[in-house]
Amino acid sequence: MFVAALLVMVDYFLKIPGTGPAVVDLQNWGIILSAFALGFGAVNLFYLHTRHISRRTPGQWPFSIWILVMIVVTAIIGVATGATGPQYSWWYNSTYFALSATVYSSLGFYMTTGCYRALRARNVEAALLLVVGAIALLRNAPAIAVGVPIIIPMEAWLSAVPTTSAQRGIMIGAALGAIALGVRTMIGRETGFLGRLTEAERRGGT
Amino acid sequence: MSKGKGFWARLEDVPREVLYAILLIVFIIPMLNPIGFPVPISDAAKKWYATIDALPAGSAIMIDFGYSGGGEPELGPMAAAVYHHIFRKGGLKPITMSTSIDGTLLWDKVIAEVNPEKYGRKYGVDYIHIGYIAGTETAMAAVGKDLRATTNTDYHGASLDQFPIMQGIKDASSFKLLICYTTGGDQSEGWVRQWNTPYKTPYLCSVIAMMVPTMLPYQKAGQIVSLLAGAQAGEMELIVGVPARGIKSADVITLTHVLVFAFVVLGNIAYYGRKASERARGG
Amino acid sequence: MLVAGRIFALGMLIALWVFIIGAMEMAKKKLPTFRKLSGLDALPEMVGRAAEMNRPIHYTTGLGELTGTVAPQLVAGLTVLGYVSELAAKYGVKVIYSVYQAQVMPIATELMREAYIRAGKGDAFDAEGQIRYLSGEQFAYATAVQGIAERERPAANIMIGPFYAESMMFSETFFRIGAIQLAGTARGYQIPFFAVVCDYLLIAEEIYAAGAYLSKDPVQCGSIQGQDIGKVIGWILMLVGVLATAAGSPIIINLLKT
Repeated sequence: MFVAALLVMVDYFLKIPGTGPAVVDLQNWGIILSAFALGFGAVNLFYLHTRHISRRTPGQWPFSIWILVMIVVTAIIGVATGATGPQYSWWYNSTYFALSATVYSSLGFYMTTGCYRALRARNVEAALLLVVGAIALLRNAPAIAVGVPIIIPMEAWLSAVPTTSAQRGIMIGAALGAIALGVRTMIGRETGFLGRLTEAERRGGT
Repeated sequence: MSKGKGFWARLEDVPREVLYAILLIVFIIPMLNPIGFPVPISDAAKKWYATIDALPAGSAIMIDFGYSGGGEPELGPMAAAVYHHIFRKGGLKPITMSTSIDGTLLWDKVIAEVNPEKYGRKYGVDYIHIGYIAGTETAMAAVGKDLRATTNTDYHGASLDQFPIMQGIKDASSFKLLICYTTGGDQSEGWVRQWNTPYKTPYLCSVIAMMVPTMLPYQKAGQIVSLLAGAQAGEMELIVGVPARGIKSADVITLTHVLVFAFVVLGNIAYYGRKASERARGG
Repeated sequence: MLVAGRIFALGMLIALWVFIIGAMEMAKKKLPTFRKLSGLDALPEMVGRAAEMNRPIHYTTGLGELTGTVAPQLVAGLTVLGYVSELAAKYGVKVIYSVYQAQVMPIATELMREAYIRAGKGDAFDAEGQIRYLSGEQFAYATAVQGIAERERPAANIMIGPFYAESMMFSETFFRIGAIQLAGTARGYQIPFFAVVCDYLLIAEEIYAAGAYLSKDPVQCGSIQGQDIGKVIGWILMLVGVLATAAGSPIIINLLKT
């Protein structure tokens, strides 16, 4: 892991003959692994849902049958007509796309209730959040921006100054955190995700 | 329980179904009967248009359809308007890939809507899709380094060598512009890291509206030439002169934003009303 | 040999490596102290609440992939999962972990099993019932988690990892059922949604510090200290850069572009 990561980093910063093709291969392996993860997910779904069906898990097994039927039908259509064929496109648009867009759109409703409930001027910070949120909300309503043009430079300033600076701070912090985690992982000292929180435990202690 | 609750408390705890119903009504009415509210054209939209317009003939544009089905209502109209512009201008080579697994099917949808044949544009000569490439940022890096080593077929599986548009296209340096439509920050930020930073490829980015504040630092730093929310598709349609779904959505966006603002004001009135009545009862 | 335009970045990366590894070694002698992270301090309270109400805890690490750029966030979420599992096991609280990516399942199974064993409750661990692979598709996963919320009514919801559009759906749904919520993500797009709805929030690099904060492991604590040194360098560069640019000198800008 350390060697692979170092190779990619070295290729980015240094011009060393021979590293380029090796890194291209590593990147292509990464693409292949990602593609396999998709297939692995499908296999896992089959395994889990067939277990639900065989055990007649209450409240779950009819839906497990349904999901397996849909997976099989979609796969048959895709393989038989091609993933870019008109039949597959129709199937995709009628089922997955319609559902996906609907669920995504439901976010608008959740945000509405969130705004109604949470944007209360309970204290100074909340009032500030409320005012900034209201300005952004009205600026993004096209007709309001035309009717109340003062709101455009106000929102532009809010976006350009406090929002951008806060986002930059968050980005820098997150990037440094990712680098630190990467360093720990590369040198083999990040074991938290393996279930052993401390080095002592990793050595077999308590 | 609402029984025994004062008016302000009940207003503060309006059932969410009531809010959803009002929102739904406000949403549906302008969709069925467009009102025609004015739509301002932002500087960012003008800059986007000017960037594409300034490209010399023969320029290759890498376009990433990196959004999923859920983002299609917002980003689809933007992508369609931009394709209208590219095809109308002519002489450009839009080469599309997808870092989202839904990207190829959503591209089909947009192309069907745009109808390149209307502009005399032919697949493989004037536009092409090189398929979904898994790995997001790894894919971007790999394509930027050596496109042919990463993929040598289009999304139908045909060899890229047979398509005139792909002649001379090797890696990121072959492209004069990068455009990304995405609902995922991994794509929008990934292109900054993998193409704009190492290869200095000018980058136009269109994301869903809630991602704009987080992408602003890149735009302010000059790493993104123009950043547009998909909700601004109406502006792009106006500039290009192809009013369609984007303009229709502008009325809905205006009314729903005003409604949410009204809800926020109402919620605060209810909050302070309840506090005042509690103080009056307690005092 | 050095690629033009990336020399300064290489220098900074090497410097960060030195600081992080150096701080890790120094931490073995003297443990650095952390500022209070109220979200993590609230974990025992959340587990206690679930125990009193006799309801489970729901845990999710979001939509991360182990092969993607958000993998560090996923790893951070798994680290906290281990801690929460051990704590919950001690109090007899069930932890339901909703899995997005199938690759994570064996890691989560091992992690939670070891946590239960450490708590002395190895027999109580039920991998099938507690670790649920829902879907590898965003909104199918999101709606499945909402289903778990409505059916099983967890007393607490912990979300640490990379989250996308489903963040608001999770927060609102768990709020509606009365669950106490802790959220943490380094994806800036979703922080505002969590901030508005959740009871406790970890912002950006706080999730990376979570493992160190909870375990007090010298190696992890030291690396957090190393990254904080990196931040100090960032501040100095920003300050000097702003002053230099205001004075008309592009020295820092040119240095950054080297």
